[in-house]
Amino acid sequence: MMSQHPATWGQPTPANSSFNQFNTFPLPQTQRGQSSHAHHGPVGHTQQPLVTGTSVLGLKYDGGVMIAADNLASYGSLARFRDIQRLHPLGQHTLLGVAGDMSDFQWLKKELDALLREEDALALTDSHPSLSPKNIYELLSNLFYARRSKMNPVWNAVLVGGWDKVKKESFLAYVDLLGTTYTAPTLATGFGAHLAQPLLREAYEAKAGIDGNGPLLTKEEAEKVLEDCMKVLFYRDARSLNKYQIATITSEGVDISDSKSADTYWKFAEGLRGYGAQTQ
Amino acid sequence: MTSIGTGYDLSVSTYSPDGRLFQVEYAGKAVEAAGVAIGLRCSDGIVLGVERLLHSKLLVKGANRRIASLDEHIGIASAGLLADGKHLARRGREEASSFRENYNSPVSVQILSDRISAYLQAYTCYGSVRPFGLSSIIGGVDKTGPKLFCIEPSGVYYGYRAVASGKGKALAKTELEKIVNKYLDAEQSGQGAGLTCREAVDEVARIIYLVHDDNKDKDFELEMTWICQESGNKHRPVPDDLLKSAEEKAKAALEEGMEED
Amino acid sequence: MFRNSYDSDNTTFSPQGKLFQVEYALEAVKQGSAAIGLRSKTHAVLLTLKRSTGELATYQKKLIRIDDHVGVAIAGLTSDARVLSNFMRQQAMRSRMTFGRAIPVGRIVQSIADRAQTNTQEYGRRPYGVGFLVIGEDETGPHLYEFSPSGTAFEYYAHSIGARSQSAKTYLEKNFENFEDAPLAELINHGLSALHDTLQQDKSLSLHNTSIAIIGPPDAAIENLGQSAAAKRGNFRVWENQGVEELLKAWRRSRGEPEDGPQEEAAQPPAAEQAQSAEGSENAPAGAPAGGEDVTMEEQ
Repeated sequence: MMSQHPATWGQPTPANSSFNQFNTFPLPQTQRGQSSHAHHGPVGHTQQPLVTGTSVLGLKYDGGVMIAADNLASYGSLARFRDIQRLHPLGQHTLLGVAGDMSDFQWLKKELDALLREEDALALTDSHPSLSPKNIYELLSNLFYARRSKMNPVWNAVLVGGWDKVKKESFLAYVDLLGTTYTAPTLATGFGAHLAQPLLREAYEAKAGIDGNGPLLTKEEAEKVLEDCMKVLFYRDARSLNKYQIATITSEGVDISDSKSADTYWKFAEGLRGYGAQTQ
Repeated sequence: MTSIGTGYDLSVSTYSPDGRLFQVEYAGKAVEAAGVAIGLRCSDGIVLGVERLLHSKLLVKGANRRIASLDEHIGIASAGLLADGKHLARRGREEASSFRENYNSPVSVQILSDRISAYLQAYTCYGSVRPFGLSSIIGGVDKTGPKLFCIEPSGVYYGYRAVASGKGKALAKTELEKIVNKYLDAEQSGQGAGLTCREAVDEVARIIYLVHDDNKDKDFELEMTWICQESGNKHRPVPDDLLKSAEEKAKAALEEGMEED
Repeated sequence: MFRNSYDSDNTTFSPQGKLFQVEYALEAVKQGSAAIGLRSKTHAVLLTLKRSTGELATYQKKLIRIDDHVGVAIAGLTSDARVLSNFMRQQAMRSRMTFGRAIPVGRIVQSIADRAQTNTQEYGRRPYGVGFLVIGEDETGPHLYEFSPSGTAFEYYAHSIGARSQSAKTYLEKNFENFEDAPLAELINHGLSALHDTLQQDKSLSLHNTSIAIIGPPDAAIENLGQSAAAKRGNFRVWENQGVEELLKAWRRSRGEPEDGPQEEAAQPPAAEQAQSAEGSENAPAGAPAGGEDVTMEEQ
């Protein structure tokens, strides 16, 4: 069966797995609603993501949490859309950073926005605070797990960053298409989990220590680490783009930066076959 | 009332010989007992206000609000049976949300009012239900500007510059007419801009205090919301300090009025 | 047969715009024995007067736990109360399952109010015949709500429902301004005094007929924390039978009365001693009202 690991998204299908064991792809129909048992034809489930976003990085720092993602939505290996924002604020104190299928991401945004809008409307009547980052994360975890259990996953890996107003501390957690959940002071999805996570941990632990008891990175330090990581990802991840945004979530609320680029150095590449002038 | 005892007034699915639907008219009676609700359309937004009658002094102050939100940019103030008001507000929220789901765009006040009125109308067609005992003021700001509507139990609705419903709506309407005319004249003669929301907050407070009958009515709390630039174009409560000062002015105006009498 | 031609079904307005069937349903609430609710800025408390249908019967419970942070007191038709409280439990669980959030108290009360409203508008149904006092604590602090068959839910500082609740209301109105800052023990004493006012002349509060529910931080001086893990956590807990004895004694002391209470209360029907478990109270005796009202008609 095709690997579902984020690192394989958008990769060409290996020659030895040209069919899948369920023999359900390509599909003539897509499933509508819950009525799969009502009709006896083939059932359509998402088998692979189409337009995808790559890594999302998250890092706790002194006073909040930062989340970074680039502006690219790839169509296979084609850099198809180069101005896509993959950071989405939810209410005052929560932000999603989303990798994976961009149409599932757009659907997710719409659902969650509607939910929060209703919460907001009810708040006029009962003055109750809206859903916290933790509440939204819980909902996403349940949703992703329920959908993968129906063999119809929401094809994303999501970082939820936020500020917990009650505990007065930052929030950072991960959930993906399998319903896998975990939390840590530094997180990354997809390629970032291999390439950036070690760098993020190194920077975090240099100050806070392995047990996280020491001081946290300052805002400036955190931003620097994330920018370094985005640069590394751009160098080594063929589905990335040197145009990204960083979101900052603090007790003050959510702030999403304008798109920015890292300074990169390509001189060395001129000697490489396939990049610079042909040397042979 | 001549309808009583004729048997033509027991079901909403029965006309009287002269073509009236008495059950709908009786539903209107439920509205007349409720604290007044006012909506005012301003040049820069909408102000809604209600006289929240307190049936007990043990009620929590500032709680039990009667104005509800239908969407970010639309509010509803109902006069009539409170439970019916909650029902309609919930339905209104569902309509607004379903519109967004289908069109990926906020619903206009006109379309939402139209849909809510269709829902109300359905409850005047069947013997298996009763009409809503409600007169609902729906106000909001959409891309066509500030809009204000009022829907009656029959489902009929009109757009307004200013509207009142509930107990003492006649007096409130007279006062609203004065305000609207004043600003309309000023606008037409080029002598001033239209009514602003900040001004309207004072006016609505004044009218509610004027309409409230201290001798006959229970105590009340003033409740006001608005949608304007100051509220980020969202339906929000009028800030406490503004509400307080409007109340002070309303009380002062009331005493002044009494001295004149 | 009917009092007038407008009161025979719930979907008919009277010429004055009233719904008589709803008003009659409100009368059903008054048939139930009294329930009192009050709150401070830290606690919310419910107090109820239990009745038994006879010497062999246990006392009907009137307090229902919905979730750690919500509980209700009922007055009226017990079977209607079970339907509604069951629904409330589902709502509370749903919120915890999907959001990991204790459901906001105002919203859970509104959810049953919405259900009750439907029963006042559609033919072939009847309005619920039960009123609730709901206490709960959420992110906005402790709350007390009243739910009634008309489909309304109001938030109160203090409130009473059920038989002779007007007397309690009079007490509460006189004293409610002191509730906000009152410590738990004082709040309970106020509640018991209000509950006492709903009693008939020859009756008194005893450990058999009184039950108290609390939400908020525990007070080890008056609560037996070894008995209740819920109390230790500040969750909804009920004190009744032996558990309510200390609370009653403290209340009597505060009124300068002998702490053991009036003597005739010492002799109690033995059945009441067994009313420890929820199951015990379900064993309705022969001759008890079939609808399961928490009333005996004699006491009206």
